[in-house]
Amino acid sequence: MNAEKQKNSSSNQIDGNLALQILQQIPTPVMAVDPNLQIIFMNQAGCRFIGKNFEEIKGTHCYSIFNSTHCQTSDCRMKKVIDGGERFTARNQVNIDDRVIHIEYTTAPLKDDNGNIIGGIEYILDNTERVRQEQKLREQNKIIMEISTPAIKLWDRIVVIPVVGVIDSMRAQQMMDTMLKEITQTSAKVIILDIHGVAAVDTAVANHLIKIAKATKLMGCRCIISGISPAVAQAIVQLGIDLGDINTNSTLEDALSDAFALLKFEVISKK
Amino acid sequence: MKILAMNKIIEETTIDVCESVDNAVVIYTTRQMAAQIGFNEAQQFLIATAASELSTNIIRYAKKGFVILRTISKNHDSRGIEIIAKDNGSGIEDIDRAMQEHFSTGNSLGLGLPSVKRIMDEFFIESSPENGTLVIAKKWR
Ligand SMILES: Nc1ncnc2c1ncn2[C@@H]1O[C@H](COP(=O)(O)OP(=O)(O)O)[C@@H](O)[C@H]1O
Ligand SMILES: [Mg+2]
Repeated sequence: MNAEKQKNSSSNQIDGNLALQILQQIPTPVMAVDPNLQIIFMNQAGCRFIGKNFEEIKGTHCYSIFNSTHCQTSDCRMKKVIDGGERFTARNQVNIDDRVIHIEYTTAPLKDDNGNIIGGIEYILDNTERVRQEQKLREQNKIIMEISTPAIKLWDRIVVIPVVGVIDSMRAQQMMDTMLKEITQTSAKVIILDIHGVAAVDTAVANHLIKIAKATKLMGCRCIISGISPAVAQAIVQLGIDLGDINTNSTLEDALSDAFALLKFEVISKK
Repeated sequence: MKILAMNKIIEETTIDVCESVDNAVVIYTTRQMAAQIGFNEAQQFLIATAASELSTNIIRYAKKGFVILRTISKNHDSRGIEIIAKDNGSGIEDIDRAMQEHFSTGNSLGLGLPSVKRIMDEFFIESSPENGTLVIAKKWR
């Protein structure tokens, strides 16, 4: 194909009728509105989605049809593209005749041949299944997080609390409770908090650990934080956290031998 | 503050955050993404920590919002991770102060935002009472 021909075919593009048919038959809602948010086009999937004929909704304000969380707020992405924005994708919830549907919609400005904005276009994807999956994941995560913090009496007056996963304020409070209870019940003198299994040590987690260590100290018990891997050590330094006089160890084994030393225990191997 | 350059997006996930379990999802997803593009373990941990700071701030100060995690690329094969944290909360009153170490209105360490800036290679923050808070941070391999 020569250059002239190619230019021609791309400027003519395809036959308007075919273009309309394609648009009509795209299996997801596509809509266009004028600058006042009045509907000027809705494809067949869109009409099915809202359960009305195009004739019934033509000229209606889109917000009165979709009734979504973003409608008539500054979150409306259609308004944003009409006001000069380029392209937006956002999650939203529409309310059509008592049905609540989770969607993701993408908007772009509708322009005439001279590039003037004459409205907005949008297409909608049904997000219901994804939201359901996420909700399930969320519930599962919650269960995992709620598994209580175990305290293991490792030796006379030595208790280990392994910390796995994610620490949040609730969990930190739980750990604090477990520790303080353990100190009184077992008259523990050394508590080892093993953080080898935590997923991230951010400043909130570090703050909780510092508080727990302080509280144990007030009860006349030593607290050793073990399981400080190179990654954790680096994170603590990068975060600028001062662990003060809290004893730390890289491994649980080292922490245990420190605990033995603190309690003046001696481990001797039998010849 | 300077708006960051747009990069090519390879993969993207949005995580709504409003309670601490969502923070767990942010942490694990960030680690996984960082691992996927070849950050070493210490770096994965650090980047997840930065993401966690931002989502924790959303939960604590704005109640709810979302975090977008992206793997991005520039100059053909340079890969990176982009964290976008957005909420529609009441915003940060004084960004300069919030970026200082030990400044906190939440009675905590006040090290979160300055750490994110230190850990990541690029950092952008914007906040207003009308539009809430937006933080964008990128880390390149
Ligand atoms: N998403 C947010 N919305 C409103 N305020 C925020 C947000 N993130 C941070 N801030 C403000 O910035 C301050 C500093 O945040 P940060 O450095 O993370 O420390 P901390 O969370 O320990 O206070 C907070 O105390 C809060 O006032
Ligand atoms: Mg914080």
